[in-house]
Amino acid sequence: MKSKLFAVIIGASIVSIALFITACPSTKQASVGDSDAAAKVYVAPGKQDEFYAFMSGGFSGQIGVYGLPSGRLLRVIPVFSQDPEKGWGYSEETKPMLNTSGGFVPWDDTHHLQLSQTDGVPDGRWIFVNGNNTPRIARIDLRTFRTVETMEIPNTAGNHASPFITSNTEYTVAATRFSEPYQFENTDVAIADFKDKFKGAFTFVKVDKTSGSMNIAFQILMPGFNYDLSHAGKGKSEGWFFFTCYNSEQANTMLEVNASQKDKDYIAAVNWKKAEEYLAQGKGRDVKASYMHNVYDESTHSAHSEILNTLKTLNPAECPGLVYFIPTPKSPHGCDVDPSGEFIVGGGKLSTVIPVFSYTNIQKAIAEKNFEGDLYGIPVLNYKAALHGEVEKPGLGPLHTEFDGKGNAYTSFFVSSEVVKWGLADCKVIDRTPTYYSVGHLVIPGGDSKKPWGKYLVAMNKITKDRYLPTGPELSQSAQLYDISGEKMKLLLDFPTIGEPHYAQAIPAELVKDKSLKAFKLKDNHHPYVTLGEKEARVERKGNEVHVYMTAIRSHFKPDNIEGVKMGDVVYFHVTNLEQDWDVPHGFAVRGAENAELLIMPGETSTLKWVPKKSGVHAMYCTDFCSALHQEMQGYVRVSPAGSKVELSANANGSKQ
Amino acid sequence: MTFSFKTRMTATFAAAILLILVSCTKSDDKNGNTAEKPAEQALKAKVQYGKIKEVQLTATIDNDLAHKGGKVFDVTCTGCHKYDERYVGPALREVTKRRQPEFIMNMILDTETMIEKDDTVKCLLQTYLQKMPNMQVDEKDARAVLEHLRDIADKK
Repeated sequence: MKSKLFAVIIGASIVSIALFITACPSTKQASVGDSDAAAKVYVAPGKQDEFYAFMSGGFSGQIGVYGLPSGRLLRVIPVFSQDPEKGWGYSEETKPMLNTSGGFVPWDDTHHLQLSQTDGVPDGRWIFVNGNNTPRIARIDLRTFRTVETMEIPNTAGNHASPFITSNTEYTVAATRFSEPYQFENTDVAIADFKDKFKGAFTFVKVDKTSGSMNIAFQILMPGFNYDLSHAGKGKSEGWFFFTCYNSEQANTMLEVNASQKDKDYIAAVNWKKAEEYLAQGKGRDVKASYMHNVYDESTHSAHSEILNTLKTLNPAECPGLVYFIPTPKSPHGCDVDPSGEFIVGGGKLSTVIPVFSYTNIQKAIAEKNFEGDLYGIPVLNYKAALHGEVEKPGLGPLHTEFDGKGNAYTSFFVSSEVVKWGLADCKVIDRTPTYYSVGHLVIPGGDSKKPWGKYLVAMNKITKDRYLPTGPELSQSAQLYDISGEKMKLLLDFPTIGEPHYAQAIPAELVKDKSLKAFKLKDNHHPYVTLGEKEARVERKGNEVHVYMTAIRSHFKPDNIEGVKMGDVVYFHVTNLEQDWDVPHGFAVRGAENAELLIMPGETSTLKWVPKKSGVHAMYCTDFCSALHQEMQGYVRVSPAGSKVELSANANGSKQ
Repeated sequence: MTFSFKTRMTATFAAAILLILVSCTKSDDKNGNTAEKPAEQALKAKVQYGKIKEVQLTATIDNDLAHKGGKVFDVTCTGCHKYDERYVGPALREVTKRRQPEFIMNMILDTETMIEKDDTVKCLLQTYLQKMPNMQVDEKDARAVLEHLRDIADKK
């Protein structure tokens, strides 16, 4: 007690000393600065954020959706992952979304996101994301914030430079990070034969203008390098696509050393309009392939998978003018095109400068055949001829550059842990600010489009260390929000994120929020097992399969008493949520289910497969608090021993309703 | 919908205030038809709340419309209503005899307003403790449901 009192006295004296100190003008100024930052990120209770930020969830296989400037987590979208919270990838309807030519693959490593664009400006219709490990591209519908399509990418290992898109979402692309033997050739080769047998590929996936539906239009067969990142040309450079590559040394072991030998690697400039011309002339060659296409149909609330077997390829050696290499120092990562489309910035991880190429100069060099040679039949431009300028001594380990639309570029530096602002016209550094710690990618709203909205920059850091309360060896990921409206960048906020966010997209809220769906219309529900009204609720037996046509509405299931299930049966609960109001999902869980709960949106039908492991009476209930009588939303299913004479029934034997 | 404990407490508290503010006398007949004093008054009074101000009824039942309404009713309403017994909500066999057509239309189409403002509905909530959800029925379908309810009123 005594020591406590003492502590209080000491504490009080410290406070009074502190009060005295804060009377000094200099300290006062600093505290004003802090409250200014707080006011800039404060979104009052009941108010909404100005921007949506979509951040890759890295090795969680998901996407995190945050509000800016608050940094509040709004939603986690499962993409290449199962998510027990939503039953995604566990319900019978969503399982096919995770099918690949190699079977059910419920995990991936999501790296990069791209919002669909119209005339080079994000339009808020869809967002695309890559699966790096088992190469896929997914499309998420921003009406529902759900994954609606996935396309597997053949001849690709590590789909990294993806899913970057063209200005009118004509194409989303994929490129192989790890070169490998093509599927249509002998794949059982010695790794030591890398230089001979391992090849790269750029894949152009056509996106339907209206439906968003994807199909692989063509694949360009590339030399066996590592392809890293890409961006489409726009404005001036419309019709072109730029891909960085490293390991032009073609090492297959200890790349850390062996792929860092040469001073320069390349940016591959692809003329995709030319590719379309060659295809129209019949220059495309069909090859055998095997890749899965999964589509989620909103009217049946179900996904289906289709395996595809052919692929059209183009060989740049046979298609002059299709691909050029631009020498780029050194092991470049980011490949970023400014809003005008004139400047292409390479982020050379091991480079001491940031090279800025000029589209005009590239075209001039091509026209004048200003080449330093060729690689596998692909012309290599003269570095100096393609160059606009170099940002000198910018920092260590440049990775990725975004733009503010006011002539400035912002580059992340992993090694020196900072963001550097520089001018596109003169390549001079304007400002630099530290990140905590080791920044990877950056995002400015619209910062890789024709029309950056500017205002904020988010740094996505690779190292978190001491920024938050410790949570054991594994820490949350660290994002930092900067105000970039002035000459100097200013740190406003730290906020934690999930997985490892590699790349992000941000967009003004009004381009997305007004399109958000509130409920699925029951009258448009064409699920084969839909129960349209309680009158239709029933149980049916098909051999050892039991199908429960179940409805859910505040606050009961129908049927809620089921008998006559026997050991050895496989039970399918097809639950239709009859609600038509916003924010009234119902959950469904039954004891012993080995998958997950269902979370059924208003007007939707979802199916839980249940194989009882024990006879007896099992409880089932609604898992999502739906109303005052949510705790009453429950039922029982009786499982009798195999061979039992109990007839299959729903709410029979006098059980009410 | 995620409710924190606090939200629930707030909701309970609000409901308690409601109980004090609206005093209802209710009488349930054996079939679950519920009649409240304010409702009887409401039957005679002009409609006060909701976007539907006037419904034109025909002297005889429009059979086609009633049939269509029956189909909508089966999908949309049977989750909570039966004709002759109380379920989640009141029995609806004779609802057209105890409520104005405008009241019925507004309960379907402008549910939130009715729950918030109409004294009769506030009393019903005390009995049933479950807010009627807005099922996003359009006006045409709601009118058909009304015709269906008129049609079944005497068909027990």
